[in-house]
Amino acid sequence: MSEASPVATVERDRAELLVSVRNVTKTFRQRGGNVQALQRVDLDIGRGEFVSLLGPSGCGKSTLLRIIGGLHEASSGVVTINGLDPDTARAAKQYGLVPQAPALVPWKTLGQNVRFLTGLHRGAAAHPVMSDAEIDGLLETVGLAGFTKAYPHELSGGMQQRASLVRAFALGAPILLMDEPFAALDEITRADMRYLLLDMWGRTNTTVVFVTHSVTEAVILSDRVIMMAARPGRIASDRQIDLPRPRTPEMEDTAEFHETVRMLRADLREFHR
Amino acid sequence: MSMIGTTGVTGGAGRADAMEALGADEPERITGRIGRVRRVLRMAAPVIGLAVFFLAWQYGVKVFDIKKFLLPRPSDILSTLNGDKSFFFRMARTTMWEAFAGFAIAFVAAMVIATFMAHSRFIERAVLPLAVLIQVTPIIAYTPAIVAWQGYGFKSIIVVTALVCFVPFLINGVTGMRSVDANLIELARSVDASKREVFFRLRLPSALPSLFSAARIAVGLALIGAVLGEYFAGSLSGLGYTIKVAQNRRALGLNLWGAIYVLAFIGAAATLLLTVVERVALHWHSSQRE
Repeated sequence: MSEASPVATVERDRAELLVSVRNVTKTFRQRGGNVQALQRVDLDIGRGEFVSLLGPSGCGKSTLLRIIGGLHEASSGVVTINGLDPDTARAAKQYGLVPQAPALVPWKTLGQNVRFLTGLHRGAAAHPVMSDAEIDGLLETVGLAGFTKAYPHELSGGMQQRASLVRAFALGAPILLMDEPFAALDEITRADMRYLLLDMWGRTNTTVVFVTHSVTEAVILSDRVIMMAARPGRIASDRQIDLPRPRTPEMEDTAEFHETVRMLRADLREFHR
Repeated sequence: MSMIGTTGVTGGAGRADAMEALGADEPERITGRIGRVRRVLRMAAPVIGLAVFFLAWQYGVKVFDIKKFLLPRPSDILSTLNGDKSFFFRMARTTMWEAFAGFAIAFVAAMVIATFMAHSRFIERAVLPLAVLIQVTPIIAYTPAIVAWQGYGFKSIIVVTALVCFVPFLINGVTGMRSVDANLIELARSVDASKREVFFRLRLPSALPSLFSAARIAVGLALIGAVLGEYFAGSLSGLGYTIKVAQNRRALGLNLWGAIYVLAFIGAAATLLLTVVERVALHWHSSQRE
């Protein structure tokens, strides 16, 4: 059974440090004073890890994601990605971003859309981008193989978000940053998407930082769940999820899963009174 | 086991989506005899509207015995056009060329300035009041000033035409370039795309729908500018010139109406052409769907 599954074939060396966040603080200036979005955040992420940032809105999880990705600048503290600062890593196309909305280019076909980011800032990537055959393979995996000539407005929301995932993977970037990518989908589509994402992640040696406000989503996807608390935004707990891989929908009915979810919910209650 | 489960889910989702995708964009198919009648009616409606208007005109003039120099019948106007084909053709060519040149110059100038405005809020705020002034001041008021400055002839006409077309292109150009999905801009930033790439691959295509709207407005404005320019700039050719001459000699009411018909035809043809180009170029945009 497992030889049919490429999920098990990628060796993951979690000991190797990829992302290091040291003492990061972020203050936004606003009318009526400063808002402390992040206070003294420390976080290490190993290569190949799937890490979720979990917390209520306003806890700074999206801000932390964007600081890691070099899209926001930290007010103080140091972030390194494989020894590079985030801006340098961004210039070397080390990140694949998946925003909350699919954000496909409306005048390009799905086939062109999944290659759109690869075509921007061409020649900068210090890593091999996916070949056309590999991209077609991913499209096949997510059930979009027959739709490469379709335009975004001809696709459902779930299909668009799957294309957005493929677009990020197609970059071949070592780090994928996902900002609540499934939040806008209906519950049934969302459940499917989680396993599709795990499938794609299993085929590639990528590291995923996944922002979510769903406890069950964080548990079923992640190796580690970083719980964040608000006012000021900070890391409240950091828990290893020991469910075996590959994860399956059936696991959501196991006692182990429920126990993990219960623990995280207890954390949530403790930090969000 | 898990793989089989996963691909199973995928396949199912794919099929459901396929049906959803097909159904999503196609309006409910109108079938049956009633459907066919409705489709034909929808196509025929504009033709019927125009036919009723012109027939009412034709027979209204006869029934109410309106003097020919006040309002000639459409049939008389058409036979005037037919009788002096080469004259009207020459006049139309002059006016079309002026209108087109002014339209094109306005477009290019507006796009250059709009690009700066879309990149800098300061420039945008600095230029906007000027654009509003150009727009709210009646062009006819400063046309004599332009003629005094540029002299009689083609140059003045082009300046007048370009000025009236300029503001719609400018405003819509800026709005369009700013209309890019913020998520797409952030995605471009996440791979460190250059400003140039963002401009040509995201901002410019995003501006197309609003630029087409501007072009529709500008077609009519360009014809106004050209006619007005000919009127003031001592032109000796063109449909504006034809109208001016006709106005000075009351008896030539038929030439006046001939020029009006030709102008209406040019405007309608240009608009139709724009619509066709727009339908092809903007097939992806929501404005092209029912």
